[in-house]
Amino acid sequence: MSAALPSSSLAVQRGVLGAVLLVLCWEGLARGLHLPSYVLPAVSDILAGVWSKRALLSEAAGYTLLEALVGYGLGCLVGIGLAVAITMLPVLRTVILPAATAINAVPVVGYSPLILLWFGIGVVSKMVMVAMAVSFTVFLSTLAGLDRVDRRAVDLMRSFGAGRLSILWRLRLPTALPLLLAGMRVSTVRSVIIAIITEMLGAYGGLGWVIYQAVLQIDFVQVWSAIFVASAASLSFFGLIGLLERKILFWK
Amino acid sequence: MSIGSTASLVEDKAAAGLRPGRLPGWMRKTARLLLGLAVTALLWEGSVQLFGIRPAYLPRLSAILAAMAATPRAYLDGFLRTLAETLIGFAAGGAFGVLIGIAFFRLRALREMIFPIFVVSQTIPVIAFGALVVLWFGNTLLAKAVIAFYLTFFPVTVNTLLGLETVDPKLVALMKSFGASNRQLLLRLQLPTALPHIFVALRLASSLSLVGAIVGEWFGDTTGIGVLLLQAMYTENVVALWGALLAAALLGTGFYAVVAAAERRLVFWSAEQ
Amino acid sequence: MFKPTLSRRHALAAVAAVALTAGFPAASVSAAAEPLAKASLRLKWLPQAQFAGFYVAAAKGYYKAEGIDLTINPGGPNLLTENLVATGADTFGLSGGTDSVFAARDKGLPVVCIGVSHQITPFIFVTRKDGPVKTLQDFKGKTVTTWFTGANHVLNGMLAKEGIKADEVKIQPQQVSVTPFVDGSVDVITATYYNEFYTIQSRMPKDSLKTFVAEDYGITFPRDTLIVSETTAKEKPDLVKAFLRASLKGWKDAFADPKGAVDTVMAVAPTLDRAQQEFMLTEVKRLMMAGKAGQDGLFWIDPDAIKTAHDFFLKYGVISKPLDLAAAYDSSFIQSVPLPERMP
Repeated sequence: MSAALPSSSLAVQRGVLGAVLLVLCWEGLARGLHLPSYVLPAVSDILAGVWSKRALLSEAAGYTLLEALVGYGLGCLVGIGLAVAITMLPVLRTVILPAATAINAVPVVGYSPLILLWFGIGVVSKMVMVAMAVSFTVFLSTLAGLDRVDRRAVDLMRSFGAGRLSILWRLRLPTALPLLLAGMRVSTVRSVIIAIITEMLGAYGGLGWVIYQAVLQIDFVQVWSAIFVASAASLSFFGLIGLLERKILFWK
Repeated sequence: MSIGSTASLVEDKAAAGLRPGRLPGWMRKTARLLLGLAVTALLWEGSVQLFGIRPAYLPRLSAILAAMAATPRAYLDGFLRTLAETLIGFAAGGAFGVLIGIAFFRLRALREMIFPIFVVSQTIPVIAFGALVVLWFGNTLLAKAVIAFYLTFFPVTVNTLLGLETVDPKLVALMKSFGASNRQLLLRLQLPTALPHIFVALRLASSLSLVGAIVGEWFGDTTGIGVLLLQAMYTENVVALWGALLAAALLGTGFYAVVAAAERRLVFWSAEQ
Repeated sequence: MFKPTLSRRHALAAVAAVALTAGFPAASVSAAAEPLAKASLRLKWLPQAQFAGFYVAAAKGYYKAEGIDLTINPGGPNLLTENLVATGADTFGLSGGTDSVFAARDKGLPVVCIGVSHQITPFIFVTRKDGPVKTLQDFKGKTVTTWFTGANHVLNGMLAKEGIKADEVKIQPQQVSVTPFVDGSVDVITATYYNEFYTIQSRMPKDSLKTFVAEDYGITFPRDTLIVSETTAKEKPDLVKAFLRASLKGWKDAFADPKGAVDTVMAVAPTLDRAQQEFMLTEVKRLMMAGKAGQDGLFWIDPDAIKTAHDFFLKYGVISKPLDLAAAYDSSFIQSVPLPERMP
């Protein structure tokens, strides 16, 4: 996995070069063809828009991140909890696994109308949506991790008289940790996107709400400013969990 | 960087865990499936009656099915339209993902320049620029397929790259010593080795392309499961909402099952199968 | 080794071709007949009886008879009709209303309004008769939900006339559902005559409701505006006139045969509720025939109402500067249709 990660300074330079080229192309296209902002605003205009609306955008980003974080936390708890429950009580597996798979067969966005009708357009509906999306991924990754344990190691611990709980705590969870954390890291970006999509269908605030309002007010620089901020928020959330992962898995 | 890869790895493991023990023949599988569906249906119908759940929250399954049967064409047309968008987006995303994955594998500089941009692109909420897609691609089936493509290509790219990198360098050296060309190397050794990884991503992509198609239909269209969802939501028609959800579930599971079946046929040598 | 890849590529191309033709079913048809001018109409929302006349005109071939091959594109929650018309993505648009036309002109979008559908404010503010809100003064401290897509300006204007400051009222964005109002967690809700008001009445009796109408406070907010781009208005005036003629015929038919019109709409969106659609068409007719339309016909642009709305938006900061009304609202196209053809 780390192979795909740019590690050398040359790679970083190339990454920066790629970004700079993209920005230049974008800027050149928008300025050169005199594209109106409702087709494609120039990057410089968007960045200026981010700066001039920084108060509004940071408040909206805070709102969205709160929804994403709470939903994310909830989703992780539910996902890990279910996976552990299944491992402790194998009987549950035949019930929970098919149910979870069936619920996941419908794309999460499909549930958004229903969730909005049930929980209203406040923050709760966004948290529920994020939790739903996150819990499934975390559940599957945790389960995969817990199942990966070497049978012989379990037998060995049993022969020393270890109980289920102690096997879970000392053996299964540490083994599952890398996959569990990977699942958690993957879910970060999704959680922010889901929060924004749900906000656009109805909300009192947040980046999705800002985007929706900006479209109606025909302010496309603001639409793009909000998109830039959303992207930055997702990337920092992703980075944060990645950092946490490296701290916890120091032996890797 | 592995936004897609870990998710798909995880999916793969879970799917492997899901697979029941050896079952003789497809009939028992079908029977089990039907039994499961029947139990779910009974539980649904029964609990709504038993707990007196308000139809505004969860209508009875029979009411939903009756509503679907009353306007079968709407659901059938919507299903087919969304299916077409999903398939085109999936095919384009899959093909592009594999090709770019190979290009990234061959040209390290290209990968290091573009890969970070790909990663950033995946943090952009697709619904935010859906209006732009309509501007650029019009109100066509293609516009929806483009959104499906956008959600699909990244995990495939990541897993193709990942798969190609698992190829044993000693085998490469061996084949080269026999005078194998680059193309032979790719087709005979590298791609077959990467195929299990690619298919893991394709399974993930099958659900992502459906998400793309449905969200794409929220930008002014007449037919599709996404349209039915939106229509039902804004007229507060909970029964129709569930009808659309059922159609989406059917499409989602069906397509996933087809991709998984193709995987079992094509990747028969994989240890994980 | 090449063959399979090639054939696969061909297969892909074939799939794409099928997909493309499926996207433009009308294109292949028109190629056979005499050349029709391709055009599209972007609605402000999903198909429903609010737009019945256009669907009837299309179904009865009125656009074809005028030489137009018209595609009707529905709207959606994150689409702005003015934007799509200004960029040329769509030829015609039935957009939000005078508010969105003014806002678009204010932002420099080259759109022109060629007709106004709803001559009076199509929404009202609804409360419970037995609730705490008896007059507009009672809005103070209460929870009022409204759409931030134009209705909020009307609410602010009404409050201002009564000397109430906006921050004295708890104004919240309105959600997709009327349930919070029916459940009593919201004191006042915004409702269009033709949609939400129907849903509310289906949950609680009409005589238990009290309504506040913008017109009673001297505010008129014409909505559902037909728009084209400046380019279309300048270069294809005949296309615009032909479109209006066909659309008017469609609307007259829809009003003459409401049941048939709802049939046509429900052929496009079969999951709709018939009773609600019939109610909607009745209400939409009332809104379209109100005001000056009674004597000057459908889609009439009343300069006085436009001027009033303009001054209102200017006062409340919806637009940043006074706008050229004659450039934004062009009555010449609708006036080109003889009056009898405009009267249902």
